[in-house]
Amino acid sequence: MDKKYGAYICTGCGIGDALDIDALKDVAEEEAWPVKTHPFFCSNEGVDIIKRDIEKGINTVIIGACSRRVNFDVFRFDGCLVDRLNLREQVVWSHPRSQFPPLTEDQKDDGVNFDRLQMLAEDYLRMSMAKMEKVKVPEPYKLDEFTSKILVIGGGVTGMSAALDAAKAGYEVTLVEKEAALGGYAKTLRKQLPMKIPYDSLIPPIVDDLIKKVKADSKITLKTKTEVARLAGQPGDFTVTFKTPGEKIEFDVPYPLPEEMKVDENGKELDQEVLVEKYKEYNKGRVDILTFDPKGEKFGAVVLAAGWRPYKPAAGEFAHLGYGEIADVVSNHQFEQMAASGKLTRPSDGKEAKSVVFVQSPGLGNDQDFEYGGSVLSMVALKHAKYVREYFPEDGKSYIFYQHMRTPGLLENFYKTIQQDPGIFMTKGEVIKVAQNGDGLVIEADNTLLGEKIQVKADLVVLAMGMVPKTVDEPIVNMAYRQGPSFRDIDLFNGYVDSNFICFPYETQRTGIYAAGPIRRTMTIEESLEDATGAALKAIQSLECSEKGKAVHPRSGDVTFPDFFFQRCTQCKRCTQECPFGALDDDEKGTPKPNPTRCRRCGTCMGACPERIIAFADYSPDSVGSMVKSVKVPSSDDYEEPPMRILGLVCENDAYPALDIAGLNRLSYSADVRFIPVRCLGSMNVIWIKDALSQGMDGVFLLGCKHGDDYQCHFMKGSELAEIRVKKIGDALTSLALEEERVAMFQVAIDEYDKLPGIINKFVEEIEAIGPNPFKGF
Amino acid sequence: MAEPYMIDSDINFIKEIGILGAEDLKKCYQCATCSVACPISPDSHPFPRKEMIAASWGLKDRLVGNADIWLCHNCGDCSTHCPREAKPADVLAALRSYAITDYAVPKKLAKMVNDPKKLPVLLGIPVVLFLALGLILKMFGIHWLNFSPGGDEIAHAKFFSTWLVDLIFIPAFIFAVAVFFIGVKRFLSDIHQNALMEGKTDKEKIDPVGFVQALGRVIPTILKHRKFSECTENRERSTAHMMVLYGFIGLFVVTNIFFVTLYVFQIHGPYSQLNPVKWLANVAGVALVIGGLLMVKSRFDKPDQSTTYKDWSLIGLVLALGLTGMLTEMTRLAGAAGLTYFIYFIHLVFVFCLFVYVPYSKLAHLVYRTLAMTYAEYSNRK
Repeated sequence: MDKKYGAYICTGCGIGDALDIDALKDVAEEEAWPVKTHPFFCSNEGVDIIKRDIEKGINTVIIGACSRRVNFDVFRFDGCLVDRLNLREQVVWSHPRSQFPPLTEDQKDDGVNFDRLQMLAEDYLRMSMAKMEKVKVPEPYKLDEFTSKILVIGGGVTGMSAALDAAKAGYEVTLVEKEAALGGYAKTLRKQLPMKIPYDSLIPPIVDDLIKKVKADSKITLKTKTEVARLAGQPGDFTVTFKTPGEKIEFDVPYPLPEEMKVDENGKELDQEVLVEKYKEYNKGRVDILTFDPKGEKFGAVVLAAGWRPYKPAAGEFAHLGYGEIADVVSNHQFEQMAASGKLTRPSDGKEAKSVVFVQSPGLGNDQDFEYGGSVLSMVALKHAKYVREYFPEDGKSYIFYQHMRTPGLLENFYKTIQQDPGIFMTKGEVIKVAQNGDGLVIEADNTLLGEKIQVKADLVVLAMGMVPKTVDEPIVNMAYRQGPSFRDIDLFNGYVDSNFICFPYETQRTGIYAAGPIRRTMTIEESLEDATGAALKAIQSLECSEKGKAVHPRSGDVTFPDFFFQRCTQCKRCTQECPFGALDDDEKGTPKPNPTRCRRCGTCMGACPERIIAFADYSPDSVGSMVKSVKVPSSDDYEEPPMRILGLVCENDAYPALDIAGLNRLSYSADVRFIPVRCLGSMNVIWIKDALSQGMDGVFLLGCKHGDDYQCHFMKGSELAEIRVKKIGDALTSLALEEERVAMFQVAIDEYDKLPGIINKFVEEIEAIGPNPFKGF
Repeated sequence: MAEPYMIDSDINFIKEIGILGAEDLKKCYQCATCSVACPISPDSHPFPRKEMIAASWGLKDRLVGNADIWLCHNCGDCSTHCPREAKPADVLAALRSYAITDYAVPKKLAKMVNDPKKLPVLLGIPVVLFLALGLILKMFGIHWLNFSPGGDEIAHAKFFSTWLVDLIFIPAFIFAVAVFFIGVKRFLSDIHQNALMEGKTDKEKIDPVGFVQALGRVIPTILKHRKFSECTENRERSTAHMMVLYGFIGLFVVTNIFFVTLYVFQIHGPYSQLNPVKWLANVAGVALVIGGLLMVKSRFDKPDQSTTYKDWSLIGLVLALGLTGMLTEMTRLAGAAGLTYFIYFIHLVFVFCLFVYVPYSKLAHLVYRTLAMTYAEYSNRK
């Protein structure tokens, strides 16, 4: 495409009052960009001006006005490259003339004074022009083959419900279940928690109804006694090999070499050829991931609803509670089975269990519930307490010792009805000991609401064991991905599949595969049904996006994708390893094989690539590098005391909006910083930092999401990776005789806009204290 | 460290106090708003939060012999503030009601007093007793019961001789005292044990002298209704209660004075309306009636508060005593001989009820609350 440029500078919203618009126009016109101004570009009249120019052939547009986060639909011109130059929020609103005064006639060109605000606006215009010269109109990636069939793994309540929902939306679904019969855990229940207003009493299990509906649905293909041997390919074009559980086949998924096998006895990484040999040996009898099963079935998206299993304590783990030692101490799972079997008796002697104590937390001075617990276990205890009363309405007694009693939402009503039962007794408290007492048991508890150490005699003690997601035991989905067959565990979620994007449920770190039900977190049947719908809709969304070559969440609709210039690839494998979504599969040599529909377009690969061969049409090492280089760095040749020039690489997900909000609130900060938004700090290539410093900029900082346990990075590890890269660059700086402190990274949440001026100004002050970059002016 | 407390949940106890007005007690979720809202709860081991969980766990042994349930004056501040509408005030009232029955002997009579179906029987006992005793005495030539009292002056003694009345009332009074004595002995021992267990006392044993001294300190509090007036809700109840209490005290004083006048000075009634004792009697009688009516009103004004048969029967008795007493006097002054003798008889029936049924009725709080307050004072409960 031949680019025809056009810059449009809005003078409304205070921009025209604060800036010397003519001087700004000159900057663009010097670069041969025609400029038009208007006091109100987002008006119909203003937009028409741009549209008429586009009709006349202009196709590369800069709109110098408000932030790109507002009026995005007003300034959308399909087929054109559009850049939104943020003159409002990040220039005039955050830098009031009262603090950044314009020059008087005498001060102009006196070699001493300068107009910081005008310089800021002009730099941003230059950066925008530099970027627009580099970027291209993206062409969406199209799959050669596309299928819209959905695979649902797990035939329990969640899986069946997801299958029904997807079928109802018009999609073909295959439902696979490992066991011979549908129903999962729900099939084994005596009764179920309430699901409807007024949420106050137990109901018969709904699972049979679901089984009937699934069997009757013509859009659902049922495969029982089946599991997934491997799932290869990418969303819209997965190739799935099924097998009978326990069977060994060549299309069983291969596993990556464990870390300890990748190094020699001295801890040095082995050569690629040796690694490949070891890998083949390790996965003997299984073909590599890059070989697709010719007999495999095609699917477009996957819902994972493999469910949970009861927690299995290690020997002696709960010895103080008598578990494993006293026959009448059972788990809630065992209790449910007993109650469902029609007899509530003591396992030791078959006597009726009329007094039952429910223990909700293991104690030992800790107020945590049993592992893999949660609100469900509170409600299950309430349900079980009721079972005792149903079996023995006259003299049955249920005692619940809890540290937390969680009954979210309207299930509070259920708690209230259970509480009303005269034979159900509850207290917060710590159970210290369960001991045999004659032919019964005696439970000792402390710190109860009754005020002191208490003892209760019981026939049966029930421990509230957690619901362990099946993915803790095995990968289940068995992805033929280079990063491995299971979901990447970021060691935060106890083996739960969900990537736990706080704001994004159902998302896993594998595009096109959505988790639902207790595989994600403990949940009730009611929650699982809702979850199933959510995951089914996500799967459908992913299908539709894959077909159109668009990104799914969180860069929904983005049609760019990473393009690799393979001639220069050094097979370092960093991109394959660092991709948070496992989108790349490298071959035997280590050359990455992209799977564009698996990609979420965060650019982590681009940031990782030392050769800078990965680029998006509108976002590349070169486009950002050019922006950096277009910043005018004043030196002592220009002014007696030239201002500092500092680069801020800003995550566009949270940090950039926070800057906008700061502007909206008229919070002001240094005008010597030039911000460049990046897709994720993970896409930050260190070359940009080097570019900035080598052209005389005095400091660089990164502004990104929080990482760690409560991470907020939209791509999980981006800000963490950036921090690692920044640390590594420290040595390089020292070798250039530059201070390490010139590069820093800050973490902000989107709502911490009020902290930004402090963070920015402090960094600028620190750089001023270090002094100007010695490379300035070279 | 003390021995762990062995829980012995009694489901029937929960059901029974439910019938006595504590049907919402299980709604409690132990937030302790009640203990904070209560203006008279002590700072250490405050009630009624702990009573609420003990009750919902059916721990009868920790409640019936617990002095704290008697320190409560049922003002209802806790119930007003309770976020769960568990009505702690009603729960404590139910517990007191249960405790009165528990400490009373014989249990059979206690059960009857609290059973509305047994009311005719209970009222019938004094009727039969009076008539039967009078008739039997007649057979022996003692005419203490005279169905056709003549003469110009109407004197109730001509109908029912004071000898006959006192022949019945003095044993009845002694019976009540004896029943109370048995109950109180166990009660004091229980509340002391409970206080020791819960750490609410600084005394090892109950020393009689110290206890009586404490009683001396508590009586002014009771007479001035100091605890009552700390309440926010139901404050007007204090006036009604004070009127009834002083009405009873006044009438008790009058009865004793006339008892002495009759048996020691041999001066028979009716006495002159100018007699200051008679003034006291009239004022006290009026106070009883007005106080009783105010109590009815306040019960109707508070539909949220549970009002059980025990509450109504006591208010009924107060009004019956006051009204029949006043009417007896008024009909006598009006010269309606037949009517006044009849009403006098009814009055005597209610006085009998007052004496004999008091250890089983709500009025027993007169004894138990006084003792509980005295114990709290004695044991320096703060």
